[in-house]
Amino acid sequence: MMRYVVHSVKMLMKSAMQYRSSLLMQVIAQFVMTGGELMAVTVLLSRFRVIGHWGAAEIMFFFGVMQSTFALTELFGRGIAAFQGFIGRGEFDSVLLRPRPLLLQVMCSQLDPRRLGSFIVGLAAIWMAAVQLKIAWTAAKALLMAEVVVCSVMLLLGLFLIEATMCFFSVKSIEMVNVLTYGGRSTCQYPVDIFPTPLRLLFTYAAPVALCMHWPISWVLGQPMVVLAQGWYYVTPLAGLVFFALMAAIWYAGAKHYRSTGT
Amino acid sequence: MNRLWISWKPYLMVFRLRALMETQYRAAALGGLVTQVFFGLVYVCLYTVLYDGADAAALQDTITYVWLQQMFFRMMFSNDGELTNLIMSGGVAYMMVRPLDQHRFWVCRDVGGRLVGAGMRMLPMLLVQLLLPKGCRMALPDSPAALAQFLLSVGLGAVCLCELSAIVDAINMKTLDRRGISAILNLTMMTFSGNVIPLTLFPDSVQMLIRYQPFAQALDAPIRMYQHAAGLPEWLLNVTVQIAWIVVLRLLGRWMWQQRMNDMTVQGG
Repeated sequence: MMRYVVHSVKMLMKSAMQYRSSLLMQVIAQFVMTGGELMAVTVLLSRFRVIGHWGAAEIMFFFGVMQSTFALTELFGRGIAAFQGFIGRGEFDSVLLRPRPLLLQVMCSQLDPRRLGSFIVGLAAIWMAAVQLKIAWTAAKALLMAEVVVCSVMLLLGLFLIEATMCFFSVKSIEMVNVLTYGGRSTCQYPVDIFPTPLRLLFTYAAPVALCMHWPISWVLGQPMVVLAQGWYYVTPLAGLVFFALMAAIWYAGAKHYRSTGT
Repeated sequence: MNRLWISWKPYLMVFRLRALMETQYRAAALGGLVTQVFFGLVYVCLYTVLYDGADAAALQDTITYVWLQQMFFRMMFSNDGELTNLIMSGGVAYMMVRPLDQHRFWVCRDVGGRLVGAGMRMLPMLLVQLLLPKGCRMALPDSPAALAQFLLSVGLGAVCLCELSAIVDAINMKTLDRRGISAILNLTMMTFSGNVIPLTLFPDSVQMLIRYQPFAQALDAPIRMYQHAAGLPEWLLNVTVQIAWIVVLRLLGRWMWQQRMNDMTVQGG
C-alpha cells in the first residue's frame, strides 16, 4: 500500500513539473494570496496592538500554524477537496473497479503543489513569531507541535470529507459546506477563545480545531487557554484523528449510494 | 436616437441575457448567502473583540463596512471562465465573425451578471439583518443623500470592476491559463478592495494612497459614501476619481483586446 502511495506521489510530481513556469506562477499566486491575509492581520495588529488577551506575536503564531496546516491539507487532500469534479466527470467509476482502498485512491489521484506558496507564508509567520516570543524550545514542545500539525491536517481532511460525502447525494453546487473548511480557516486563524460562545463551541467540540490546534499551542506559548495536566495537551489533538475516522466512515457509507453520472 | 438604439441593441441584449442566466442559479445564490452571512458574523465578532468597547461609533462603521462587503461579494468576484473556454474549444471563431465590438460586448455581459448576481443575494441579506442581534447589525445609511450617492457609486464601481476584469480576460487570452497572472490580479484585488479587511482600518499615513487606487473604486468608495454623506466638492472628487479610473482602465483594456483580436489563434476543429 505504501508503494502505491509513493508511486502516485512521484507520478503526480512528475506531471506537475511538466509545466514548470505555469506551476511557478501558481505558487506565486498562492504566495500573494496568503501574503495578503498576513498583511491584513499585520494591519489589524498595528492598529489595535492586542486581540482579546493575546499580543501581536502570539496572534501571528496562531495565524502561521493555521495557514501552514491548511496549505498542507490542500496540498495532499486535493483529491478530496475537488471531489465534486471527480463525480461530475464520472471518474469515480474507475476508482470503484480497482482493488485498492477507495479513499486512498481518491487522495492519491491529485496533488496541489501550488499550495506551497501559502505554506511558505505560514511558516514565515510562525518563524517570525517564535523569534519574537523567544520560545524556549524543548523536545517535548517540538514533539507536540509535530503532533498538532499531523492531527490538524487529519481534522481538516475530515472537514473536506463532509463536502465530498455530500457529492454522493447532490451533484449541484454545495458551497454551503465551505463555512466549515474555508470559514474554519478564517475563524480559527485567531485563537478560538476570543469569539462568543456559539462559535467557540462549534470549533471546539463539533469541528474540534481548538482541541487539535489552539489548546496545545496556547500551552506551548505559555498561556494555556484551558488549564490541564501537561499530559492532556498531548491527548486532545487526537480528536482530529477520531474526527477523520468518523468522517471517513460516513464517506464510505455514502459511497454505497453512488450513482454514476458518466457515460 | 433610433440609430443609437440600433447600435447599442446587441450589447443591451447580452446584458439582459447574462442577467437572466444569473437568475437561474438560485441554489448557488442560497449557498452563497449562507457562506456570506457566516463570514460576516465571524468578522463582526472579531472586530467587536478588537475595539473592546473603546469606540462604539468606529465599531459600528466597521460592522456596516463588513456587511456591505459581504452583500456585494458576488459583484466583486465573478469570473465564469466562459471566454477561455471559447478560445480553447475554438468557439471564439463564431464570436469574432460577429460585427460587434468584442470588448464592449464582454464588458456589458459582465456588468449584467455582476449587478443581478449581487442584487439576488442582497435582498435576502437585508432580511437576515433584521434577525441579527442588535450589536451585530449594519447601520442605515447616513442620510437619504448618502444612500443616493452610494447607489450611483456602486453602479460606477461595477463598471470599473468589469473594465478591470476585461484586462484580466485579455491576459487570459494570451496565456490561456486562468490560474497564473490573472489569479494574482484577482487575489490582489481581494485584499485591496477591502474584502479581507476594511480599507478604512489601514494606517492613516497610507489612507490617501489606499482609497484612490483602482481596486478601492469598486466597493470601498461607495461604502465610504454610504457611511458619511459627502459635501458637493468631496463628492465630485470621489466620483471623478471613479470615472477617471474607468476611463484609464477602459483605454488600456481596449488596447489589449485589440492586440489579442489581431493575433487570435482559433483552436480545435
